[in-house]
Amino acid sequence: MNHFDENDLAKLTKLCRIECTEEEKKEFFKSLKNVLAYVDQLQQIDTEGVPPCNQVLETLKNVMREDIIGDILPRELFLANAPSHVGGMIRVPPVIKFNSP
Amino acid sequence: MVDIHYDQWEPVIGLEIHVQLNTRSKLFSAAPNRFGDEPNTNISDVCTGQPGTLPVLNKEAVRKAVQFGCAINANIAHFSKFDRKSYFYPDSPRNFQITQFDQPILIGGAVSALVGGQIKHFSIHHGHIEDDTGMLKHFSSFAGVDYNRAGVPLIEIVSDPCMTSPKEATAYAMAIKAIMEYLDASDCNMEEGSLRIDANISVRLKNEKTLRPKVEIKNMNSFYNMELAIESEIRRQVRAYTLNPHGDYGAIIQKGTYRFDLEKKETVMMREKEAAEDYRYFPEPDLPPIVLTASYIDEIRRTLPELPHQRYHRYSAELQLPEAAAILLVNDKSLSDYFEEALKLCSNAKSLCNWLSVEFVGRLKDTGKTLRQSEIKPQQVAKLVNMIDKGVITGKIAKSVADIMVLNPGKDCEEIVKENPDFKPVHDSSAIEPLVDQVLLQNPQSIADFKAGKSRAFDFLVGQVMKLSKGKASPEMVNKILTQKLQ
Amino acid sequence: MYQLSATSLHELFKKGELTAVQIVEDTLKRIAHHDPKIGAFLSVLSERALDKAKALDQKRKDGKHTGKLAGVPICLKDNIHIKGELTTCASRFLSNYRATFDATVTRLLEEEDGILIGKSNLDEFAMGSSTENSAFHVTKNPWNLAYSPGGSSGGSAAAVAARLCPIALGSDTGGSIRLPASFCGIVGFKPTYGRISRYGLVAFGSSFDQIGPFTTTVEDAALFLEVASRRCEHDSTCLKLPPEHYVQKLKSSLQGTKIGVPWHFLEDLPPEAKKNFHESIDVFKKLGASIVEVDLDLLKTSVALYYILSTAEASTNLARFDGIRYGLRSARAATLDEVYDFSKQEGFGKEVKKRILLGTYVLSSGYQSDYYQKAQKVRTLVIAQVRKAFESCDIVAMPTSLSSAFPLASIQEPLQMYLQDIYMICANLVGLPAISIPSGFDKEKRPLGIQLLGPQMHDADVLRFAHAFEKSTDFHRAIPPLFRE
Repeated sequence: MNHFDENDLAKLTKLCRIECTEEEKKEFFKSLKNVLAYVDQLQQIDTEGVPPCNQVLETLKNVMREDIIGDILPRELFLANAPSHVGGMIRVPPVIKFNSP
Repeated sequence: MVDIHYDQWEPVIGLEIHVQLNTRSKLFSAAPNRFGDEPNTNISDVCTGQPGTLPVLNKEAVRKAVQFGCAINANIAHFSKFDRKSYFYPDSPRNFQITQFDQPILIGGAVSALVGGQIKHFSIHHGHIEDDTGMLKHFSSFAGVDYNRAGVPLIEIVSDPCMTSPKEATAYAMAIKAIMEYLDASDCNMEEGSLRIDANISVRLKNEKTLRPKVEIKNMNSFYNMELAIESEIRRQVRAYTLNPHGDYGAIIQKGTYRFDLEKKETVMMREKEAAEDYRYFPEPDLPPIVLTASYIDEIRRTLPELPHQRYHRYSAELQLPEAAAILLVNDKSLSDYFEEALKLCSNAKSLCNWLSVEFVGRLKDTGKTLRQSEIKPQQVAKLVNMIDKGVITGKIAKSVADIMVLNPGKDCEEIVKENPDFKPVHDSSAIEPLVDQVLLQNPQSIADFKAGKSRAFDFLVGQVMKLSKGKASPEMVNKILTQKLQ
Repeated sequence: MYQLSATSLHELFKKGELTAVQIVEDTLKRIAHHDPKIGAFLSVLSERALDKAKALDQKRKDGKHTGKLAGVPICLKDNIHIKGELTTCASRFLSNYRATFDATVTRLLEEEDGILIGKSNLDEFAMGSSTENSAFHVTKNPWNLAYSPGGSSGGSAAAVAARLCPIALGSDTGGSIRLPASFCGIVGFKPTYGRISRYGLVAFGSSFDQIGPFTTTVEDAALFLEVASRRCEHDSTCLKLPPEHYVQKLKSSLQGTKIGVPWHFLEDLPPEAKKNFHESIDVFKKLGASIVEVDLDLLKTSVALYYILSTAEASTNLARFDGIRYGLRSARAATLDEVYDFSKQEGFGKEVKKRILLGTYVLSSGYQSDYYQKAQKVRTLVIAQVRKAFESCDIVAMPTSLSSAFPLASIQEPLQMYLQDIYMICANLVGLPAISIPSGFDKEKRPLGIQLLGPQMHDADVLRFAHAFEKSTDFHRAIPPLFRE
């Protein structure tokens, strides 16, 4: 277990989209390595046939709303928090078209 | 030059169809589910991913998904749940999509469709519910993000890789679309994006057992383009394999996402499948599972509306419409519903079908309107067909009446006939007899042919009389007089 | 006036012996005078509070009905929304973010005429156990300014301990209410998961998070719960239970009840905390409760489970902070990728980055089954063990923490900081109600706390046991010397 290496960290920072300085990378690497070593203790516990816990409140199910239109977030309020907007839209740097997953 | 033997290859096609469900509100919030409004006006705190917001599932979206599942005979999962799918993109307000990963609401199922006169069955892998993204508008120096679409409920229907030609793919997709329309679960408007199709395509040599690398094509905004796109992708792959007979499949056909370039008429790579593409699915902690009871599912199954295949069966078996006409009608839900309304007042289904889907649809083509939008009432079309059947007007006159109906949609067709003296058929035998005599006089050869047993000569003579009467003579009367005279 | 509990303040307001304006003015004066010492607040809502006070006084004058919290100043942890006000989460990323809606709990408090007085400091996005991870300033422990108030809701705890307001709200993901309550010598209550709507609480670990109060008495905590535990249509995990009369239920006796103690799990407890815990257990014995041993050995995995599961959830919850729609967008960013990469780099502190990285790692392909899925399975086992424990007792008692407050900047190794939470995580893993109440002081006069946990939905029992303990002790009356004026 726990073969966490610098390459993993590089992949991770890319996946989370967080730029890190070299100094940060060193610190994060050490810290993650420690924590991962610590959590390896879980491997000692036999979980054969144990279902994962996806809900803390086990009786909860089918929580749904009626299909009714409710409160709208007014555009001015939405855009008031935006770092940049144009023509009622959030403005972002140009994007290569058709790149959505 | 290398010869390319396309016929030695077999395409393998699977489709992923995203259908926007036409609920009033969004999947996880109470913002309106509406297309075409000003940017960022149909938004809520939830669907714009404001911090502190939580999703609450729309009951109606679940019901529509289950309806669809019942319609395709899928297994409706008694237990299904939602998962988070993580990726960064500006149109994704939380940077994770709420979808169903390993426990979708629909499993299996099938649809059938006619392809080249044969019934084909297409199997479905699963169907799941998820929320739509917002939309990016691209400009040269920036992009604008509109979240009106973010959170619109989608059902994604994933077929098995069970299609082997572009025609089959289209037939399958049209069948899915028709079902959605019959359920009134979606507008299925490809141009507005309420029905979106991605195709997974690979090719292999006939008799080959394993699958070769597949390519995903997006951005096919009509069935016509989809067929073109799939066709061109198949040819591209066959060409590539033929030119590199010994190469590694993965190197010849790079896995990735392509789009169909409408101008170049070819598929263009958008991006490679990154090895690091990692969506990190895990169960959505903010949404309890969906647990459906047998009685809930049964109730939906019991109350399903008539489905396309059922209607097709009725049209061909009971109404005896020709196959092509029946399919044409059934696949166009709006026209078919129009036909149903007219049918209540008219018993000549065949003629009615022809008048609707050929005569009227043809006349409306240039206006860009459907029959429903034209404001011509179905009852009027029924009346028109009845007038022909009763011999009140001839088919030829009816066509002129139809011209006027298209121009004056509100006008009653009996009114039109009444107002125009030219539209009254001539039943008076004394008026028709001279015309018959004249035609017989001018066509001795035809008389001889008729007597020699050529029935077509009779039809010719009828036509000549009709022509002479400028289409006003009652066909029955012409038949009757002509028959008498020739005996 | 500052020594009064919320319940007492409310009564005096109702009787007309104090006006709401008097209460608010006094509170604002105390905050202005004392808060600079401890840095509990991130913003003070003076105008809003005074407006509300005036309206309340008018209401009473007109003989109109006033709510259960009329006259009570309340502070919210700055990760809970008040529409139109800043919600910074003590993050540079959100330093200018104004909430677009009221949290459900905010709405409920205002409907019962509570007076929102300010927003309190926290570890950035509630990630931390010391309130040192705030992007704005460190909060100090009112009992000793060189010490941490605990975290992550340290601002709220310090505010109540310094008697700057009688009720402050926190959020508890892995002890973030109970640890600071214990360090600051006050009551801190984490209700059953789902008891209080999370709508409007900026999410950290969605299956762990729960809002709860800091108060100086258990009765005030019960009063708060009566107001706040309402079903909410915006939170699918919010319980749909009829309202309970928590205050009324405080009264019943502990005679014949059973308290479970996981002695084996507590073996490593340092001597001073152990001694205090034994003394607290003796108090319960005197009240008529019997003590039974329960097996909760799986709780040794708590910290490991917590750091896998809460960070996994957090890594996705915090993905929305991308510099596109709100919050900080890096001025250096020229491309879309840079908007993400640089905005997160500049907007988040180190601890937040570490947890996002860890959470992403445990979910990533190839590792998910060893970490995330494994932890979810062990969580199932923990839940089963806890359920079994409650078959033999009404309540489980544990110390809140290993020791009293630690000095500021004394814990540099993250893992050591994480281990501070070892006794508290159980309640979040299993969704249990849990309370920390003052149980005495160590040699240096720093507060200690005892923690009581009940089965899910048994919030009333937890409050009842805590109330009985409080009635037989004086610790909750102690006010930090610097703030006794």
